[in-house]
Amino acid sequence: MYNSNRMKFWRAFNLVLLIVGSLFMIAPLFWMISIALKSMEEIYRGEFTFIPQDIQFSNFVEIFEIAPFFTYFINTSVITVLVVLANVFVNAFIAYGFAKINFKGREVLFIFVLSTMMLPGFITLIPQYVIFAELGLVNTYYPLVLPSFFGSAFNIFLLRQFFKGVPSSMIEAARMEGANHFQIFFKIALPMIKPALFTVAIFSFNGVWNDFLGPLLYLNDESLYTLQLGLQVFKEQSSTQWNYLMAGSLLVLMPVIILFFFFQKYFIQGSNILGQTDEK
Amino acid sequence: MYKKKENLYGYIFILPWIIGFLGLTLGPLLFSLVGSFTNYNVTSQMDFVGFANYKEMFMYDDLFWTSLYNTLYFVAFSVPLTTIAAILISTLMNQDIPGMRIFRTIYYLPAILSGVGVYLLWMQLLDPSTGLINQFLALFGIDGPNWLFDAEWAKPSLIMMKLWSAGGSMLLYLAAMQGVSKTLYEAAIMDGATRVQMFFRITLPMVTPIIFFDIVTSTIGSFQIFQEAYVMSADNAGAPENSLLFYNLYMWIKAFNVFDMGYAMAMSWILFIIVLILTIINFKFARRWVHYEGD
Amino acid sequence: MKKYLFLILAAVLVLSACGGFQIGDSEGSNASEEDSASGETEGSDAEGSNGEKVTLDFWSFWGSEQRRPVIDKIIEDFNSSQDEIEVQHTYVPWGDIWTKNLAAIAAGDPPDVIINDINTVKLRAQEGQMEPITEFVDSDVENRFYDQMTEATMYEDEMYALPFNTDTQILFYNKDLFEEAGLDPEDPPSTWAELEEYAAQLDVEEGGSYERIGFYPLIGAGSDVWMMNALGENYISPEGDVKIDTEPVHDTFNWILEQKNKYGENTITSINSQFENAQQDPFMAGNIGMMVQNANYYVQLRDFGQDINFGVAPLPEKEEGNGHTSWGGGFVAEIPKGAKDPEASYKFIEFLTNHDSQLYWAENNFDLVAHQEAGNSAAESEEFSEAGREVYSLMVENMDNTLLTPQPLVAPDFASTVNPTFESIISESTTVEAGLEKAQSDLERIVENNR
Repeated sequence: MYNSNRMKFWRAFNLVLLIVGSLFMIAPLFWMISIALKSMEEIYRGEFTFIPQDIQFSNFVEIFEIAPFFTYFINTSVITVLVVLANVFVNAFIAYGFAKINFKGREVLFIFVLSTMMLPGFITLIPQYVIFAELGLVNTYYPLVLPSFFGSAFNIFLLRQFFKGVPSSMIEAARMEGANHFQIFFKIALPMIKPALFTVAIFSFNGVWNDFLGPLLYLNDESLYTLQLGLQVFKEQSSTQWNYLMAGSLLVLMPVIILFFFFQKYFIQGSNILGQTDEK
Repeated sequence: MYKKKENLYGYIFILPWIIGFLGLTLGPLLFSLVGSFTNYNVTSQMDFVGFANYKEMFMYDDLFWTSLYNTLYFVAFSVPLTTIAAILISTLMNQDIPGMRIFRTIYYLPAILSGVGVYLLWMQLLDPSTGLINQFLALFGIDGPNWLFDAEWAKPSLIMMKLWSAGGSMLLYLAAMQGVSKTLYEAAIMDGATRVQMFFRITLPMVTPIIFFDIVTSTIGSFQIFQEAYVMSADNAGAPENSLLFYNLYMWIKAFNVFDMGYAMAMSWILFIIVLILTIINFKFARRWVHYEGD
Repeated sequence: MKKYLFLILAAVLVLSACGGFQIGDSEGSNASEEDSASGETEGSDAEGSNGEKVTLDFWSFWGSEQRRPVIDKIIEDFNSSQDEIEVQHTYVPWGDIWTKNLAAIAAGDPPDVIINDINTVKLRAQEGQMEPITEFVDSDVENRFYDQMTEATMYEDEMYALPFNTDTQILFYNKDLFEEAGLDPEDPPSTWAELEEYAAQLDVEEGGSYERIGFYPLIGAGSDVWMMNALGENYISPEGDVKIDTEPVHDTFNWILEQKNKYGENTITSINSQFENAQQDPFMAGNIGMMVQNANYYVQLRDFGQDINFGVAPLPEKEEGNGHTSWGGGFVAEIPKGAKDPEASYKFIEFLTNHDSQLYWAENNFDLVAHQEAGNSAAESEEFSEAGREVYSLMVENMDNTLLTPQPLVAPDFASTVNPTFESIISESTTVEAGLEKAQSDLERIVENNR
């Protein structure tokens, strides 16, 4: 048992550690906000101030006049929702197969799955583009969405690791009682790895939301563009509109931050091993 | 009979992947393998040149070796450091104190802040005179290095940036820590275990499947470091003094600046083999230390 | 489960209202018909051999609030100037636009016109990425551009693109600081020796560290610019003659190192990094008295410089009579390989580079345009302030001394080979002698191999 003095020390130490760490993590964000609120004149003048001398909230409004960010927002959302849903369900399905069904060639096939991550994307980028062009799918969202319905190595591997934690004895028992693997997958295995599913959801949300290369290659019509493509208008060969770029980036980030903040309660329940008294 | 049925189930479950692999991935993969034996330039030529690309790479091309060295350096430092950092952060984050959701969001922030914008931001943070980092060091009387402008410090700069975003994989570990039964800890406390003991005897073994996952995927990912170096080197080509000329950056220059795609494809297959071997070694070793609760 | 079903249903609803899942024909022409459907009746876009409009896809990286309206206006003028061709403009992000172009060419479905880099035209022509345009070009068109620009678009006696705009490196100096230092603000330095002399007067040193530096060659320009300035030509010729291990180049590096050692590594890095990171501008902030920059830098001074009092001058020469050689780049309009109607595409790029379009571009973006006459007109344009006219005139004059550096086909990746060596000379991890000898032999080997 811990005496209360030691406990107090640990709690204080903990909190200090957390706060100092947070400062490091969050500093770049403040820097972004600071730039987003400055005028270009002030940025070029280069007197270093964290709080802008002349705060320009209008930067956040003006960017909407330069590019149709609302349209980009809708477009990006449509792609993201589809990819996230597909990613979670399809990858879980495939991963269950690799983790919990003992079929012939499983190990070799799994190395094949991983090997698809090992060749740099831009080497296969052109042949893959040609495939989608032959299918007549360039300038649609299909090339951005379709691949997620066939699983991705990273997510398959991740979910496989979690499914491996599901006791085989449970599955055996269900099989004995006549349940097939589909029933086991939906009724037993899937609910057991809920935290991992949310993790995949958040990872893929983040990935698709910020994807640049895919939309760049496959979309030819500006009305179909995504947020990340839209942000590029502030960068040109000779100069960058730093304030607009940062303001735009902040707006693009917001949904991801909010989503993470509210979603985490569905899959992270902290434990009390570091000695906190239960506050609930 | 039962075995046969398991096989069938297995294939049904992985069917989506097989379809995608055969339809979308395998073709380009084989194409790049064939292309590596040609002078393919994307648009007009693809003549068989035998092993010429591979020969040039190993025997004459100094930059190939430079880029391989830079990449190995990066992998060797960034993979272990970020893995350890992620585990430590997640342990901190796996507590139940008020305001924890905010802390978690803040620590996850670097992972959300991704892409070109963040690299540009880091270039400013690392600025030798006006950057936040050196200004911070100056508070303690430390004259900070020139970071991205110094060939010695350029790679450590990138590793530092990776370390900062280690909170990204915190999610994985947190998800895994959810599966650790609280009764285990309660029993340990009853037995008088210290926190450090509990961490090493309970938490760590329970998350080994995820540590393993993290190591394998971040090794694969680190070998392919590209965009960071492309954006953050002053000439987009590995400056200063080629210290940021990573393997994939050099490959990109070959493929898209001088259109020597055949050569780039050959390079990509060498990388493929290196990473594949490392991954297989990882899997072999995994049997010794990765603990799957369900097996 | 119900919750997920609802989500999927909602997604499907959004999709049905969304254009991203409609499969159209890949030529991209249907989109424009939808856009301009307002005035058209159903029958007018039916397949008729007469009166059928060609729709051209035009890709550029001009998406900023400054450039986009200008190019869109030129396109509008073109579209209303005739009734056979309709040009549709798509903004594609800078740099990545060419990756996308390459993929599209490989798939046989490229845009009809694209803006691309002038110094790589020959290489791309050699690799078969573009359609030659020689058959369409008449001598009037060919002669409207600066000679070195036209030359950069030629490959094996065929012309492959029409030059659009260019730029050139000039010296910017701060007149107020000149006066403060007792220098004549109307008499900028014209040789390297004068540069040094002036710089010494402009320096402000306090306690061993510099508050302000007068001049440092590698701020705003690369060592390659000074090598060209000293040599009067590029250090590698189109045929592959390498002139790195030569006296002028030795002098160049020794000169740069002299300046560097005067100020010290840290001062230099500190100022240089501010430029590289574009986070702030030491020239505007008055931390540097003179520097070489692309002449377009004027626009930044005009818009964000808060009335900084500056002057411009040609690049100083190594010694009197050596020549004020400067360097420039630029962009061309070209037709990617496999474009559906090169003749129609050509009509558009001809229009892009005609006098009026070029003058309009020059007046609104301040770029030095490729069309000589238009450039001359812009130099006197009422659209500019007096300072603007002065800078523009200097840009035009400077073209007599400006080299373009088309990628030599015998060593297309020469830069990635020699630049690191130049960098290590500057960082003094190798000596000038050893470094230049290495760079010379490295490059010679590559030329040898490629031949």
